[in-house]
Amino acid sequence: MPEVILRNLPFLLDCLRVTVALALISAAGGTALGLVVAIVRYLRVPVLGVVFRVYIELVRGTPLLVVLFICYFAVPSLLGYRATAFGAACLGFVLFIGAYIAEDIRAGLASVPQGIIDAGLATGLGPNQVLRLIVLPQGLRRVIPVLFSQYVRLFKFTSVASVIGVREMTGGAMLINAREFAPITILIAIAATYLVICSTISLGGRLLYKRLAVKS
Amino acid sequence: MSAMIEVVDVSKSFGPNKVLRNCTLSVNKGDVVVICGPSGSGKSTLIKCINGLVPHDEGEIRIEEQLVGGRASDWPKLRAKIGMVFQHFELYPHMNVLANVSLAQIHVLHRSRAEADERSRRLLERVGLAAKADAMPANLSGGEQQRVAIARALALDPAAILFDEPTSSLDPEMISEVLDVIVELAGDGMTMIVVTHEMGFARRVADRVVFMDKGEILEEAPSERFFTAPATPRAQEFLSKLLSH
Repeated sequence: MPEVILRNLPFLLDCLRVTVALALISAAGGTALGLVVAIVRYLRVPVLGVVFRVYIELVRGTPLLVVLFICYFAVPSLLGYRATAFGAACLGFVLFIGAYIAEDIRAGLASVPQGIIDAGLATGLGPNQVLRLIVLPQGLRRVIPVLFSQYVRLFKFTSVASVIGVREMTGGAMLINAREFAPITILIAIAATYLVICSTISLGGRLLYKRLAVKS
Repeated sequence: MSAMIEVVDVSKSFGPNKVLRNCTLSVNKGDVVVICGPSGSGKSTLIKCINGLVPHDEGEIRIEEQLVGGRASDWPKLRAKIGMVFQHFELYPHMNVLANVSLAQIHVLHRSRAEADERSRRLLERVGLAAKADAMPANLSGGEQQRVAIARALALDPAAILFDEPTSSLDPEMISEVLDVIVELAGDGMTMIVVTHEMGFARRVADRVVFMDKGEILEEAPSERFFTAPATPRAQEFLSKLLSH
């Protein structure tokens, strides 16, 4: 390993830890939010369905960086609290990725054929039971691949958090570069790290899908 | 004694299309009624109205005196009383065969899993699939899937079963394995309404045949009379076309 990396390894690993924490929290929160939004939209719940639709449209029409700025500067000043950069980044990523995940999950739920839903209803299962026992397990299995590609996107997005001052891997690397001026080595090192982790996420998704996919 | 299933003057439209026109039908306990007629005549819609999968617009449907539709309908109770078997089987693809048959027993009838599985295994044995309990639906043939679907319907101890073209999407060599199960059920006295194009089966098993065209019940007759001397010209034409090839 190049000397400049070795010398800064503890610091870089700390930054990597922040990146991973950011990604994990955002993935979990975004998936939870996406699931709720997807179910509300799938069931066409009045009012709330429209509210979530507007949310999705807003997020899809807003650059990620702007979402982060909103969460770091605008939301705290509106609601009157002091935001940490890390907290604001988590909020921004959850809101951002949640909108995309919601649409993916909704498509998965909608892809469960009406005939199978009717079969469940015909045995006396109520609509909520059909959703919980039949539609969700099937629909979610179908979206595993897209879900994991969202996680890969999200993992790379975390680098944007450096702009609002989160000391994650990209931001940390740039700090080191400012001191050491070894851009090629440093950038190759972090790019390789992103690549390895993203490939691992993809692989995990493929393995999970292979295990759980439903043939029909 | 009043009929087990009573359909009185039922009409249904999908948008501007009137798919059922004043249909009246009454099915007693133990009756085997076959509904036939050309495609698009409303046969499937009629039986889906009976268990409320398709809400009817006008008229009245009663199952053992209980009104179907309306706000007060206790759907789980009503539907558990009436089993249904679909053209495309509609097994839950993410569960194995045993779980497919046990699901509603556990969540509708509140049987314990052990009790439900025990009952499911007996039913699977009855339809000749005891060995497939742990298989996934995708690994079964169409005929096997349909027999699982029949076991799933039977698992709730229904008072009657509705069959919606149960053999229409099967390869020819699998039709008889499914029909045999249905014939056996009929022999055991199960009340059933069967939408089918299998006229040989209808003749053998049905007590009565209902002939529908364009959303109307044109004719209802004991099966022997329907096949030997259909009353309406439309039914005569339908039968001659079916039998001529």
